[in-house]
Amino acid sequence: MAAWLVRRLVASIAIVFAVVTITFFVVHLAHGTPCGSQDRPLPPEVCQQLCRRFGCDKPLLVQYGMYLARLGHGDLGESIGLHRPIADALAEAIPNTFILALAALLIDFALGLALGIYQAVRAGRFGDVAVGNVALLINSMPVFWLGLVLLLVFAQWLHWFPAGGITDPVLCPRIESPYCVLDFLWHLTLPALTLGLVGAASTARYQRAAMLEVVRQDYVRTARAKGLRERRVLLVHALRNALLPIVTLFGLAFPFLFTGAVLIETVFAWPGMGRLAVNAILQRDYPVVTGAALLTSAMVVLGNLIADALYAVADPRIRVRAGEGGGGGRD
Amino acid sequence: MPTARRSTSLTLAPLAALLLVAACERPVGCTGEYCGTMVIASGGEPDALLPPVSEFVITRDVTDQLFLKLADLGPSGNTIGDEDFQPQLAARWEWDAPTTLVFHLDPRARWQDGQAVTAADVAFTYDAYTDTLVNSSFRSSLRQVAAVTTRDSLTVVFRFRRRYPEMFYDAVYHMRILPAHLLREVPREQWRSTAFGRAPVGDGPYRFVAWKAGESIELAADSTFFLGRPHLRRVIWRFTPDQQVAVTQLIAGDADAVEVLVTPDNVQRARADTQLATYPYKGSAYGYVGFNLAAPGDSTRPHPLFGDRDLRRALFMATDRERLLRNVFGDLAKVPPGPLSQLWWIWDPEIRELPYDSGQAARLLTRTGWIDSDGDGIRDKDGRPLAFRLLLPTTSAIRRQYARLLQEQFRVAGVDVQLDEVDFGLYNERARAGRFDALLNTWNTDPTPSSGFPQTWTPAGFGRSNYTRYDNPDVDRLVDQAVALAANRDQARRAWRAAVETLNRDAPGIFLFATSNVAAVHKRIVDVTIRPDSWLALLRTWRIPAHRLTDRDRVER
Repeated sequence: MAAWLVRRLVASIAIVFAVVTITFFVVHLAHGTPCGSQDRPLPPEVCQQLCRRFGCDKPLLVQYGMYLARLGHGDLGESIGLHRPIADALAEAIPNTFILALAALLIDFALGLALGIYQAVRAGRFGDVAVGNVALLINSMPVFWLGLVLLLVFAQWLHWFPAGGITDPVLCPRIESPYCVLDFLWHLTLPALTLGLVGAASTARYQRAAMLEVVRQDYVRTARAKGLRERRVLLVHALRNALLPIVTLFGLAFPFLFTGAVLIETVFAWPGMGRLAVNAILQRDYPVVTGAALLTSAMVVLGNLIADALYAVADPRIRVRAGEGGGGGRD
Repeated sequence: MPTARRSTSLTLAPLAALLLVAACERPVGCTGEYCGTMVIASGGEPDALLPPVSEFVITRDVTDQLFLKLADLGPSGNTIGDEDFQPQLAARWEWDAPTTLVFHLDPRARWQDGQAVTAADVAFTYDAYTDTLVNSSFRSSLRQVAAVTTRDSLTVVFRFRRRYPEMFYDAVYHMRILPAHLLREVPREQWRSTAFGRAPVGDGPYRFVAWKAGESIELAADSTFFLGRPHLRRVIWRFTPDQQVAVTQLIAGDADAVEVLVTPDNVQRARADTQLATYPYKGSAYGYVGFNLAAPGDSTRPHPLFGDRDLRRALFMATDRERLLRNVFGDLAKVPPGPLSQLWWIWDPEIRELPYDSGQAARLLTRTGWIDSDGDGIRDKDGRPLAFRLLLPTTSAIRRQYARLLQEQFRVAGVDVQLDEVDFGLYNERARAGRFDALLNTWNTDPTPSSGFPQTWTPAGFGRSNYTRYDNPDVDRLVDQAVALAANRDQARRAWRAAVETLNRDAPGIFLFATSNVAAVHKRIVDVTIRPDSWLALLRTWRIPAHRLTDRDRVER
């Protein structure tokens, strides 16, 4: 298991390194320099000075080497557009994205599992068909459009939830009281629901299929034959095995959550990493784009690592093979 | 099962307590005329709250509340002479000589750290604004100021290189005076990233409270402000990148004001809400298709197509600008009678321009040899189709919409237009380098045409804002004459009109729209006066009557 974990960690670091490298070169392929993309031409001395600061007067490979060296010391550099250290900007944005992703993940899996199980139990009946169609409808919606619809209905028409932002800037400039914690959760609800609903629609379909596969197995029939109550048969005997494909989905959910967050953070004015990255791309703030790509890829890779570990926990066969030094992973 | 029930109760107990605390009313204290809070939903976020280093409109809006000018534009918006300007930091001024202007600072003015505002601050500010290391976008506007010196701690002297009608405007409008004692030690090349830019100390009606990156900026009224205490106690800019969402925040009561509603649909949404008042005001932007008169990338040769004046005139006449405008803007813009914004006093619907006349356009194209010889719907001459590429930035939804409509309109006229949609940085690069056939451009203008017009439509702007490389000595002469005559409005107006009409005859571009703005503000806020060049310039006088205060307005922190 330890050897497997080390191998996976090394592979994860390699993936993050590859993402950073590709991002670095792709953003530098775009036209412009810190002094060339402004509305007005900068005087040569200012341009030279900016270039010295951001290293754009050196060959690309040298810039890349410098970037890696700085990265090795934990220095992500300075933002061109924000005029501040990137680490500071990211440190403010990451917790917001992380909380949003976590809340969405909770909604995604809690709702998705519940609906999937419900559909499997009611397979072929009205409840199954109705939930399936609604899930398909939600799954077909672009996430930003769903966000706008929820805003319109719940913020503008019903006034149940706030129309974006992270807290009420008048009443809660800082989260320092129980009232403001609740205010924060209140603001979190719609963006998390938007992301979570789209994920839950997929999760429910996977869970339904997995449950239907498992309930046909002999051991489930045996459990029923023993006279166990249907609820116990489904939730104790069938569900654990039906969770395996869902664990895979857990790993896949991370990229979706972070890419979805880019759009959702813009729609809901949520000051997270997605919004920071979008602004940086529009302003050609290369160091921020690369820094955001680095952290996003690290989080996605970490999510997948957790998913693989959970997979091993859920399926003893994988634990055994990993312990034997076999391939490991999703076989 | 009892265990499960107990654990559920244990989980719910803190939540219930939290709800109970949350349900409690927050203490509300403030009463009277100075208690209001206004939340502005803003599309952008400043890069630094230091006026010389930022070009963002949102930075101007915020810093105008923090830093004072020597004097500011009056309600008339007149930029000529000094009669219509209102004192701010300078209590009074006089002309010592035709090119020497003396300001006497108001002795009551204080920085918010308690230090007095002095003449040395003004001289320091001028030095910073004109320093190439700071590279302020206002540097070129101060080029006629030869020197700024101090006579004593409250007297500052501006010396100009020459006499001209808008000397006073140039001296006071572009610079917000900065605290020398706080910025002198900061190396100029580090001004863009200095800590002062994220927590400034000013001398204006509001003082800085907090800036939460990506979320909001909060200012609080300075109750001791020497020109009169602002009525609104707090102003908060809430950053909302999506315009639709900003309007939703306004309607949902999460925000109190939006600067520009942008689309007719948003205006309708705001007008349908009985809690909101809308305020139309003149826009400062105009948009146009600019023809590159020089060969792309080689300014020494004429453009193979647009070097031909008749072709440009034909394309102008083939464009139904009124219909395009209705389609894109509804009634939120006007078709300009030339390269003019509505903000400019020279705006005159009577200025003569080429008509929309597709028949005449077709005849002109045919007469100049552009005919559809192979029946493919596209005119051609000497085996070459009448085709060009239109450059525009992907970041502008308005221009993308216009581009598609223009493409269709030109196709009907037998002209093939391909769109070059590129990111904003590349767009600017190509526009400046002249690497385009035609481009869809917009300009945000100053309150006066005296600097903007020559920069864009005379050789003075070559390599800078005159992307089309339009050059007509007659226009140059008339513009010079108009600028010099500015003190005599009627004569100047005639000269401007002649310049614009001459330019219109050459058709270096198709002038598509001049924006009209509509702001929306919650109705409990009264005495709302909007100055078109800077919508929050008069914010200090906006107020919420005591009987209309909400709990949010009164809440103490």
